[in-house]
Amino acid sequence: MSASLERGIHAFKEAIDGPVASFFSSCVHCGLCAHACLFYTETGDPKYTPIHKLEPLRRVWKQEYTFWGRYARAFGLSKPVTDEELGEWETLVYDSCTMCGRCSMVCPVGNDIAYMIRRTREGMAAAGHAPEGLIGASRRAVTIGSPMGVKLPALEAQIRHLEQEAGLTIPVDLEGADYMCLLSSMEIMNFPEYIGAIARIFKQANVSWTISAVISPECGHAYMAIRWEGPNLIGKPFSFQVMHIMEVLDQLREEGRLKTTGKEKQRLTYHDPCQIARRGGVLEQPRNLLNIVAEDFVEMPEAGKMNWCCGAGGGVSANERADELRLRVFNRKKSQLDAVRAEGLVTACSNCRIYLEEGLEEYHMDIPVTGLTETIAEHLVEEGEGGER
Amino acid sequence: MTQISNEAEFRHALAGLDADRQRAVAALFVKHVLPLCDDERIAPVTDVAAREDVPEDKLAEALRTARTTTTDCHARCGAAGDWSAQAGYFVARAAVAALTPAGQMPGGPAWQAAMASRMAKTCAAIVTCDDSLGRDSEEQYRILVDFVNS
Repeated sequence: MSASLERGIHAFKEAIDGPVASFFSSCVHCGLCAHACLFYTETGDPKYTPIHKLEPLRRVWKQEYTFWGRYARAFGLSKPVTDEELGEWETLVYDSCTMCGRCSMVCPVGNDIAYMIRRTREGMAAAGHAPEGLIGASRRAVTIGSPMGVKLPALEAQIRHLEQEAGLTIPVDLEGADYMCLLSSMEIMNFPEYIGAIARIFKQANVSWTISAVISPECGHAYMAIRWEGPNLIGKPFSFQVMHIMEVLDQLREEGRLKTTGKEKQRLTYHDPCQIARRGGVLEQPRNLLNIVAEDFVEMPEAGKMNWCCGAGGGVSANERADELRLRVFNRKKSQLDAVRAEGLVTACSNCRIYLEEGLEEYHMDIPVTGLTETIAEHLVEEGEGGER
Repeated sequence: MTQISNEAEFRHALAGLDADRQRAVAALFVKHVLPLCDDERIAPVTDVAAREDVPEDKLAEALRTARTTTTDCHARCGAAGDWSAQAGYFVARAAVAALTPAGQMPGGPAWQAAMASRMAKTCAAIVTCDDSLGRDSEEQYRILVDFVNS
């Protein structure tokens, strides 16, 4: 056994905690998870069945932690997981899973399959099986602090120019503030207008930016990381509250601190980012906000907690090898949009946003995509203006 | 119109233009930052946007080209950021804004084109560490005044 395979198998064993072991024991092989998976439904290929993607981890669980598995291994009746098999499974684990969690929602015995994929990825990475794009992003996140290599001077330049151009104040490291806003690298690089939108909204609502509650940006991964992964990593709850920007804005709306004027005339629909809606439960807030600025808001079929993924979550967007498959399975989102004849698409995740744009482009669909925070900011009552609530 | 001196006046003046003239002035904003974009597809579509008598099908075709360019050159999630390339991405986005029909874009096409053009300048400023490059608003005020008075 090679050193990397040994590291991988060791990582698999470490990954098999109580929940993972009980999930494997509980699986009734019903196949319902297949019909919840974007990659299975859009390709019809059974290899994309979520539980099948976990086969290497399942075999290690069976051989190491079950009586009959150990018995079979001792008598040479089962084959150990090989490096070639891990290589074969690499594309299944990384390219054809966005960690959207839809499979976990439909499992009749409550198995969190997305969590098991996550644990499988840990073992695969330890064995040297991970896409180049994700390896590079992880390295930059550790060494620079940003997966895209965004450094503080670049963010400071963005902030400085927003302040100069729009006469806004964007406080950085302000002691005693009420909220601390986090930004994703994608927002700083691709959608800096989000920063200006936040500043305009908070100026109107007279919000001071704090550290007693942390605001996660329009980024599904950031929300999952700061809300759950962070406390899990340090082994205790944070001493502050974590809120998604949609939760904060809707709270401001409820308190009457968000004053808007006019409405978007085109038929708008909302794409629920998986990590924010399905895993985070932030479902009503974006809809409450859209209803104050959209005249013709329509829901896509299966919107909300069972919404279909954009196809680019869970590191798939960082993995160039997965581009063709990602665009193929976007067909599901196309069908959802076709069903409501949407003229505009709003979302609250910068990763979803940019890959929705790519998918729409691929399928020749003429639908602009916007961020919800910016859409709200565009309808703010300016100083000296009347407006409606 | 003799002068625009702040954002409120700028937005108000842009909002007062009809759809064709919004598109035309948006094209001028894009042309002002065009040297920041290496992609050869953007200059011709900006020329289309600048014409006030352009047929609908030509506009739609130009918008498709601009959108394709934008999706081709955005920063991939998790990829190492390149601010020079990013300046080009924002020029392409400004072209998309200019060509998008009025009513499909919050704030209006001209305003969005102006904002994206400024973001392109900011990216260029990050590359050169030259803050003066990022101050494009006054130049846009001048472009708008000249356009309205022409």
